[in-house]
Amino acid sequence: MEEIERNYKKELEVLKQEYEDFVYIVSHDIKTPMRAISNIATWIEDDLDPSVGGDIISNFNLLKNRVGRLESMMNGLLELSRVNRVELEFYEINIPKIISESIETLEDKENVDFLVINNLSNENVDTLGKKLTRVLNHLITNAVRFNNKEKKEVVIELNETAEAYEIKISDDGPGVPEAVKDKIFSIFYTVNSKDVVDSTGAGLAISSKILQVVGGSIKYETRDTGGSIFTFNWPKTITLKI
Amino acid sequence: MIQKLVSILLVEDDEVDVMNVKRAFSKNNIKNELFVAGNGVEALDMLRNVINPLPKIIILDINMPKMNGIEFLKEMRADENLKNISVFVMTTSNEDSDKINAYNLNVAGYILKPLSFEKFLSSVATLKNFWSLCEM
Repeated sequence: MEEIERNYKKELEVLKQEYEDFVYIVSHDIKTPMRAISNIATWIEDDLDPSVGGDIISNFNLLKNRVGRLESMMNGLLELSRVNRVELEFYEINIPKIISESIETLEDKENVDFLVINNLSNENVDTLGKKLTRVLNHLITNAVRFNNKEKKEVVIELNETAEAYEIKISDDGPGVPEAVKDKIFSIFYTVNSKDVVDSTGAGLAISSKILQVVGGSIKYETRDTGGSIFTFNWPKTITLKI
Repeated sequence: MIQKLVSILLVEDDEVDVMNVKRAFSKNNIKNELFVAGNGVEALDMLRNVINPLPKIIILDINMPKMNGIEFLKEMRADENLKNISVFVMTTSNEDSDKINAYNLNVAGYILKPLSFEKFLSSVATLKNFWSLCEM
């Protein structure tokens, strides 16, 4: 019996390693021809006579946009496959500080009212800093990106218990339709066509995988007044679930 | 003042990436002589037997057949004649481990190959500012 278990464990280790190698090689080797398509399209466009019709130019833009989307998808897959890697990632961060940094890097921040409600008594935490930052970045970006209002509102609430931080991010956007609520954490799933909002559909899948690895949790609720609320729990002491 | 242009060795196995660098050079009006090697073995041979005087700058891809970029760097840093050449790594790899390996072998810069040619152009313009200092 023990031997069978040992063999399974060994097999699992081998499979895990194969999977990691596979994703790494595929994503690097596929990026090269992908970049070539994008570059050559730019060169052809550059070399075209300026009198060519608008159709050709708009098709070139479509081509480059789609290759760009392919690249974002590859990067999403790569990030998802690396969630299990935690080397070099334990360090101290200040939660309100990484939230304001995340807001700073947003493209559309001028049209958003951010309200941060900070109820933390321990703002500094020694944790998997890079991963917590990724989760916050994905959720804050989503709260803005999918909101089609001209003037948007995002509320970020920070609470803590003895064991965990509870972070709630809510927006006044369209929310997620009831029927597809269970699908939003799947990789590459987007509620609307990717042409409506240019998005990869990887952020929530990556965030939920990160929370699974650190032993936390994430949930979605619809806000009473319309809009989304994402709440996640980040444990103060991390026990890796890899 | 007549400026002496330093020569540059590009170590890269992908044809389109080589064209990319050449095009970025001409768009940025860079007139330095450019040598191209397809992998680490070829690059070492060119440095030891072909290019004279030695280039001051090497632009190096990491993922290559035969001898990859990191192996090439190790061998180069162990060679008395070659160890002082400035190396810029240019690669698709955004892995921390690849970056650390490269910096441990004393590289002057790490350029991620971006998807868009426009972004690559500006990286090359920045590079040019650096090697112009080598020409003074």
